[in-house]
Amino acid sequence: MIVNGVTIEDTFAEAFGMRATRILVTALNLKWAYHAARTMTGLATSVIGCGCEAGIERELAPEDTPDGRPGLSVLLFAVSSKELAKQVERRVGQCVLTSPTSAAYSGIDGEPINLGRNLRFFGDGYQMSKVIGGKRYWRVPVMDGEFLCEETTGMVRAVGGGNFLVLATGQVQALTACEAAIEAMSKVPGAIMPFPGGIVRSGSKVGSKYRTLSASTNDAYCPTLRGAVDSALSSEVGAVLEIVIDGLTGADVRNAMRAGITAVCAVGAAGGIRSVSAGNYGGKLGQFHFPLRDVMA
Amino acid sequence: MSALTFTLRQPPAQTVDLSPLTPDKLAVKSREEIARIELTCGNRKLRVAELFDISGEDRSEGMVFRASSDRLTYVGARMEGGTITVEGDCGSYAGLGLRGGRIVVHGSVGAFAGSGMRAGTIEVRANAGDFAGAALPGDKQGMRGGSIVIGGSAGDRLGDRMRRGIILVRGDAGAFCGSRMLAGTILVSGRVGESPGFALKHGTLLLAHAPAELPATFQDCGEHALLFLTLLEKHFQREGGSFHDFVPLAPRVRRYCGDLATGGKGEILLTRTA
Repeated sequence: MIVNGVTIEDTFAEAFGMRATRILVTALNLKWAYHAARTMTGLATSVIGCGCEAGIERELAPEDTPDGRPGLSVLLFAVSSKELAKQVERRVGQCVLTSPTSAAYSGIDGEPINLGRNLRFFGDGYQMSKVIGGKRYWRVPVMDGEFLCEETTGMVRAVGGGNFLVLATGQVQALTACEAAIEAMSKVPGAIMPFPGGIVRSGSKVGSKYRTLSASTNDAYCPTLRGAVDSALSSEVGAVLEIVIDGLTGADVRNAMRAGITAVCAVGAAGGIRSVSAGNYGGKLGQFHFPLRDVMA
Repeated sequence: MSALTFTLRQPPAQTVDLSPLTPDKLAVKSREEIARIELTCGNRKLRVAELFDISGEDRSEGMVFRASSDRLTYVGARMEGGTITVEGDCGSYAGLGLRGGRIVVHGSVGAFAGSGMRAGTIEVRANAGDFAGAALPGDKQGMRGGSIVIGGSAGDRLGDRMRRGIILVRGDAGAFCGSRMLAGTILVSGRVGESPGFALKHGTLLLAHAPAELPATFQDCGEHALLFLTLLEKHFQREGGSFHDFVPLAPRVRRYCGDLATGGKGEILLTRTA
């Protein structure tokens, strides 16, 4: 399959089952909602070293938030329900509770996990609960007034690790195409791209020559090793970048991949893009497969 | 087809316990079976047919008590779902221990309306007697969930020992409003009598008018914009109907914490200071 001179390789992305939640963070204005949400989703690029993968899904207008203030929808993904609950509590406690004027609410129905249930104890006995419309909220006194937080958020089964690789003639060309892809993908609901700016340069393979490491650089896609390893890169490829996608459902991942690859193809061969590939483990590890040509069909 | 309707022939000499007549209990009964149900009237038993003319069949529209009287007590008591409409007044214990559904009373209700209720809504278009949403004598907790909306005024001891839920009063409330309250929210748009929040442990009294005298065991915490009031206002908007009469809520309130004699973890919020 060739689109605008870009070869869509006959391969597939391999993704895994995860647990996820959506949290709505509001504040006095969007600036402070971003401060809270960006801090909360910091160091959340990969479950390998961060405990969870997280990102800002979209901006929320005041009429779309529970308290009528501007806000952001944040998605968090982890490998287990226990780890997700731990990460939610730690990140909301350290990053949202601490952020001026902020409040946090559940943004999804599902199996309840703690949101404010334990954070309330920061109130040292002065916290108050309010049950409104069947949901319990905690009012925790803080120095700028009250931190309002819903008691629980919903946890759902989700899909993590959807991906595609952009093979280009050079760094600038690959980055330009990936930036266009991220802009298009960020409009897709239910999906996040957790890496810096949504883009990964350090794609990995399973295992390492060093026994203590479970993953190491994906040498087959490193252009500087083309002559030293069994490279997957042709002579005209000078840089490869990857976009990793976590979605609430397989359809969300698929929609985001399609939007991203379409944007990459729009840059096309004229923009230095040679092909689009995907990362997998031979199909033996992940429950979810996303064949690129099916995604683009 | 019209709703299942019970039209009172004439007010009974003594109070009648109507707790057997709720939509969930009558759901699978024929009109003849309903007519034979025995009701307690004073120290004797009366069959439903002796007291009411029964008409209508449509259970989906709930039940209606027409030409009602304050001798009819325990209306909708322990009901689990459905709707009861009372065209007129009803007596004490309306919605006692309500588990779900909706009771709409076009007139007034007697004492202990919604006492011990856990869910559902009681809407009183006129006035409510004393102890609405309060605990029965000997009970540790009053209302434990749901909503009571009173279009007129409420009597004394509104929400006494209330544990959870929302009580809204469009008019005035009597003395000792929210006394010994354990949690929950009471909103009074009119004025309240003496000693509001007496022995309040937790919970919120949201008052549109400052009481003539605030108990000395409540301390001024200043004026604040509390975010939960926005959530409350949006909840009222979603519920619509008579809840809408309480919108908008004041964006800023003056907070008094108390009752310090019983821990001081509750609050009286004043939307106006005059």
